[in-house]
Amino acid sequence: MSVAQPIIVAVMLLTGAGLVRAADVTVSVTTRGGDSAENAVVVFDPLDAHPAPAHGTATIDQIHKQYVPRVTVLRTGTSVTFPNSDHIRHEVYSLSPAKTFNLKLYAASPPTDVLFDKPGLVVLGCNIHDSMVAFVLVVDSPYFAKVPATGTVVVKLPPGRYRLRVWHEKLATAVVTREVTVADAPTALPVTIDLDPNRDTVAAWPQA
Amino acid sequence: MSLRTRIAVTFLLLLSAVLAAALAVVSAANRANAEREVNRQLDVGASVFSRLLESNRSLLTQAAQAVAADFGFREAVAVRDVPTLESALENAGDRVGAQLVVLTSLDGKVMAAYGSSAVVGSRFAAASGASAGADAPVRVIVDAGRVFQLVTVAVKSPLPVAWISMGFALDDRATRELASVTGLDVTLAYRGADGLRTVSSSLPARESGAAERVSRRIALSDLGGVEVTATLSRSLRAALAPFARLTEVLVFIAVFSVAAFAWAAFWLARTITRPVQALTQAVDRIRGGDYGAPLDVRRPDELGVLADGLQHMQAAVQNRDRSIRRLAYEDPLTSLMNRTAFAEQLAAALRDPAAPPMAVAMINLQRFQRINEHLGYSVGDAVLIRVAARLRAVPWIGSGVARLAADQFAAYAPLPPGTDPETWGRALLAAFSEPVVVENQPIDINTTVGLVVATSVPQGVPPSPDELLRCAELALVRARRDKRDLCLYGESLRPAARDQLSLLGELRRAVDGDELRLHYQPKIELATGRVAGAEVLLRWQHPTRGLLGPGAFVPFAEQTGFIRRITRWTLDRAVAQGAEWYRSGCALSLAVNISAEDLGDLGLLQRVAHSLSRHQLPPSLLTLEITESGFIDDPDRALKLLEGLAALGLNLSVDDFGTGYSSLSHLARMPVHEMKIDRSFVVGLQSQGEYAAVVRSAIDMGHSLGLKVVAEGIEDAASAAMLKSLGCDVAQGYFYAKPMAPDDFAQWLKGQIRIPVIAVPRNFNIDDVGDSMSLAVL
Repeated sequence: MSVAQPIIVAVMLLTGAGLVRAADVTVSVTTRGGDSAENAVVVFDPLDAHPAPAHGTATIDQIHKQYVPRVTVLRTGTSVTFPNSDHIRHEVYSLSPAKTFNLKLYAASPPTDVLFDKPGLVVLGCNIHDSMVAFVLVVDSPYFAKVPATGTVVVKLPPGRYRLRVWHEKLATAVVTREVTVADAPTALPVTIDLDPNRDTVAAWPQA
Repeated sequence: MSLRTRIAVTFLLLLSAVLAAALAVVSAANRANAEREVNRQLDVGASVFSRLLESNRSLLTQAAQAVAADFGFREAVAVRDVPTLESALENAGDRVGAQLVVLTSLDGKVMAAYGSSAVVGSRFAAASGASAGADAPVRVIVDAGRVFQLVTVAVKSPLPVAWISMGFALDDRATRELASVTGLDVTLAYRGADGLRTVSSSLPARESGAAERVSRRIALSDLGGVEVTATLSRSLRAALAPFARLTEVLVFIAVFSVAAFAWAAFWLARTITRPVQALTQAVDRIRGGDYGAPLDVRRPDELGVLADGLQHMQAAVQNRDRSIRRLAYEDPLTSLMNRTAFAEQLAAALRDPAAPPMAVAMINLQRFQRINEHLGYSVGDAVLIRVAARLRAVPWIGSGVARLAADQFAAYAPLPPGTDPETWGRALLAAFSEPVVVENQPIDINTTVGLVVATSVPQGVPPSPDELLRCAELALVRARRDKRDLCLYGESLRPAARDQLSLLGELRRAVDGDELRLHYQPKIELATGRVAGAEVLLRWQHPTRGLLGPGAFVPFAEQTGFIRRITRWTLDRAVAQGAEWYRSGCALSLAVNISAEDLGDLGLLQRVAHSLSRHQLPPSLLTLEITESGFIDDPDRALKLLEGLAALGLNLSVDDFGTGYSSLSHLARMPVHEMKIDRSFVVGLQSQGEYAAVVRSAIDMGHSLGLKVVAEGIEDAASAAMLKSLGCDVAQGYFYAKPMAPDDFAQWLKGQIRIPVIAVPRNFNIDDVGDSMSLAVL
């Protein structure tokens, strides 16, 4: 899970946001019980700007009958590769409206990458291993982060108005949405969410 | 209720009660057993039932999960195309045999449905709370009146995206299967708006109303707020069936034993009551006077003893009845009928219309009293027995003879046609033409017969025996009066006779009822005017006719012979009165009249002596006045009686001198002390001169015979003076005093001077008197 960190940084570099003024917004997501909400996803949708479409790639591996990483945030237009690191075959599929596909049983390398061309939540599964679940959150905004085990993540945001959305696979409520205005200064943004560890469905990802 | 029925019914009721109690106990035990058994079966059945539903659920769940996991199905779900989904659901349902398939979104809205009334977009209650755990409750749902066992599983791709609910109808077939596995009847019902509705049942559609069932109700989870229950039940009758056979046998035994017992009870009761009935009938018979029939009850038990006792009692009662009958209907001495029997038998004979004319006779033995008195009663009895025998032998009489009184007999005989009743009367008299012989002593029997023929009596057709006897007695009285030995009753006898008969009855009553009175009229010594004595005069205080003088009834009494009783009574009463006065210091000579009839009374002498002796009256204070006519009938006999009386020391007086036809020779021979000149001479003394001469002659004659001369009927001083001058000794009459009641007389006497009487008390030896007289009479 800690592997997500470099990706976010990479994305930020790619967008060239660093070229303009940007403020560090430190988002700390905690549960109502005070624990850090690891693997929570924070997304800032700029309300005044329209980011350009992106064309990136990403990889979601399958190791020990688990998707690694379990939670992935992507910009719309990203192609994802699903390598199979196990010695057994897997069949990756999604029946989510945002992206429906089915990679027939394969070992090692998949026959093709999958392009996530629409924003939304895509739940991945393996057709022969019901326990394998992965979440791919496809967003239009370039400003997002996955919360590490510390519960705190820093997002560099140009000043402006944003809609903050916080998602977690065990979120007990609907997705937390908040409008924030980012000034030209580092900002701390604490967010508290309710988690339901027993939840076996997932909160819907509302479209922008 | 008869004894027999009561015995039988009592024991039958007892037996029935015992049997009923036994049956009730057995039935109750059987029922308890059956109920226990049924409850046990229900416990097991309920457990099996739950297991079955659970096992059903696991099977269904597996089937549903298989459907939910099918990738194609999941793809169809993902597509969210309703027609596609519906076809997919139908396919899925058919695959696993579910009649109801509903796909719902995670928020409980129907996405598609098959076999259900649910509408797409509506909420489907059963969707939420999907359960797959082994201990989750069995879920059922009511849909369109049907009940389904429902399982709901998630459709995962890979996370749950929808719920698929599959329902299996718990229909009749299913309940029948449940019933066959559990061995119980299963009924499924839910509570709808209109009450409990049965959905399916393994029970027969139509069960007899009386079927008792034991049931256990199991609540199934009520999804959608509809209470669904499964009722497991078992018929108690079915459970009782094994016991029913036992009960049948018991009932059969009970019925059989009651019948047998009833027969035995009735038989036993009959053996008791039948002889009792026979005895009752026998008692009724005996009560009715039938002693002839023997009691036909021969038994070794108590009833036999009772019957035996009754038999003896019957014999004893019969004997007693016979003797009572004899006493009631028979004269014990002669064995002839008595008056009652005679009347009954005569009445019976008269009732026979075919019988020839009936003649009835009353036979009187003349002077029978004398035989008794002088020969003794044993001889008298023997005479009566012989008389009876002779009467029985008279033609046509047969058994129709009765003894009515001491010397009076009656007989009746059916006279053959053409027979003169007098012939029969003569035959009766002829029976005594020869003297009867008692102890070698011939005794003459003279009889008087009164005769009547039934056809000559107008009263009653046929006349009553009493009427006939009365007529015969009238004839008898007439015969005696006319001094004949036979008189046939005729029309001429009737009117007077009837009056006299009633008079006779009244006279009897007068003597018995103390209606006769004695009055006393003083006799005055003419020379001195002193009281010489009193004449006792008879009066009858008649209840309706007032005080009657002797003229009203004495002549009749003399005719009928009743005068004897009257004289007896008078004598005794006068003697008693005289004795009373004598004891009180007033010695007075009392004169009592004796009629001619009395002179034939053999007992007179003895009775007078008896009376004097009893009342202790000196004989010299008693005078008997005798009329001349008393001598005419039997002068010798009368003379002897007078001699006997004179020997007692009495004074004798000739009454009514001058009216009779007696010869002076009689007067001379009679032992009399006094003569009373008839009142007719005294009354005529003043008016007719020749009477004075007759009176004078009579006085002279009396004096010359040594008699005291008394005149009666003096009503005035002139007569008294004339009689005095003629030398008459004593006078009596209204001039001096009228006859007075004893108390008045005693009062009158106080102012008078009495001639002193030397009265010497005398001890009588009655036997001596009797003996001397008997000889004299005979």
